[in-house]
Amino acid sequence: MSQNKSTIDFGFAEVPLEEKVKKVKGVFDSVAGNYDIMNDVMSLGVHRIWKRHTIELSGIRPGHVVLDLAGGTGDLTKAFAKRVGKTGRVVLADINESMVRVGRDRLINEGIAGNVEYTIVNAEALAFPDNTFDVCTIAFGLRNVTNKDKAIEELYRVLKPGGQLMILEFSKVTQPLFAKFYDFYSFNILPKMGKLIANDEASYQYLAESIRMHPDQETLKQMMYDAGFDKAEYLNMSEGIVALHRGWKY
Amino acid sequence: MNNQPGLVNISLSKTIESVLNTAIRLDEQQGQAFVALEDKVIQITLAPVQTPLYFMFTHYMVSVQNHLTGEADAVIESNLLDFMTLPMTRQLPHTLVSGEPEIANQFITALCGLDIDWEEHLSHYTGDLLAFKIGHGLRQFIQGKQASKQSLGETLKEYLQFELNTLPTQSQVNRFKAQVTETQAEVDRLAERIKAL
Ligand SMILES: C[S@@+](CC[C@H](N)C(=O)[O-])C[C@H]1O[C@@H](n2cnc3c(N)ncnc32)[C@H](O)[C@@H]1O
Repeated sequence: MSQNKSTIDFGFAEVPLEEKVKKVKGVFDSVAGNYDIMNDVMSLGVHRIWKRHTIELSGIRPGHVVLDLAGGTGDLTKAFAKRVGKTGRVVLADINESMVRVGRDRLINEGIAGNVEYTIVNAEALAFPDNTFDVCTIAFGLRNVTNKDKAIEELYRVLKPGGQLMILEFSKVTQPLFAKFYDFYSFNILPKMGKLIANDEASYQYLAESIRMHPDQETLKQMMYDAGFDKAEYLNMSEGIVALHRGWKY
Repeated sequence: MNNQPGLVNISLSKTIESVLNTAIRLDEQQGQAFVALEDKVIQITLAPVQTPLYFMFTHYMVSVQNHLTGEADAVIESNLLDFMTLPMTRQLPHTLVSGEPEIANQFITALCGLDIDWEEHLSHYTGDLLAFKIGHGLRQFIQGKQASKQSLGETLKEYLQFELNTLPTQSQVNRFKAQVTETQAEVDRLAERIKAL
């Protein structure tokens, strides 16, 4: 995936670079309200297991400072806020105001407040000092970022030495037969469900396409090393539908 | 990769977490006994399960997980059967391996004070899931009770709905159904209009 050309993939369609940012924003503007339900229906609820896995492996503890980048409606933020306690802090950062608003309202409704901050940022230019966070996560977000290498470099920069980056993202299905079924599901069923639930076929078509354009497990791992990480590894979940990449800064 | 918590472990930590939090919410003292543990981490191994569980207490109540960065404030060893009979015996035989004895004591005392039928909540884990890990001894011990208590279907339903919270709730499903019906109606109307052309 070359980041140097003047156009970049938006799903399968090539669009000028600056337009992608706008288009991605449009996608999430249109899905924000139904995002949580859609997640449940589309993954049959499995996204919760992927997320729980991520939280368990983070080794998070009271006092930790966490960045939930592309945090959207705040699933991970919520779990982290419960664990870092009063002495810790979680920052939910996202490029899209609508998603952050839905997330903030939801968390406040559930009594999560006091140790969570909300901020609008672009992953490619994080407005945080170097060495700030013990754990950084970006769940189902990196796929949408235009310059992924830059975003990973930024995540490396804001991590404390000893800190861990966790990238949870759709990836390449490892089992060939299952891959076929999954393709059918993604391109035929998923956009239709998007139309039914959110009346928004195009956004979910984009979702399916953007998943296929995302770097596979090994490529992403190499990108992490290239961005400066001292150790990187990944874990396939659900046959590689999703992979959790973890990187450490020493 | 060894440091990956399996589904069994995640599910066990998640169950203990939900059950504890529910019990604290229902507790007359609202979990006052745990207040002194705020922002502390207790590591406990419940033999024969080998992977330790980490209990973390914050003002949002308890979280339980399988991994921890750094050291726990108290490290305790006990066993699962004693843990499950806690509400009857009101004591948890244990060894403090390291850390602060006071924190460990506070934890055990607070835990013993809660009215939780751990056996009810954990028996199907030990039966269905943990059995893979911990071999036949405990499995046989539990199986007799479990067979009479729960059919596989019930276990599965509970496993999906409550412990992993994976299924959409009834109201979400209803809304989805309503939206499907609505769309269907729109399609029908459209078809009518096309016919009328
Ligand atoms: C699929 S949602 C994931 C939300 C949440 N992390 C979760 O797992 O449920 C993707 C999020 O990435 C955000 N996003 C897209 N591009 C971004 C960028 N360049 N910088 C920061 N956030 C971005 C979107 O606004 C959206 O909220």
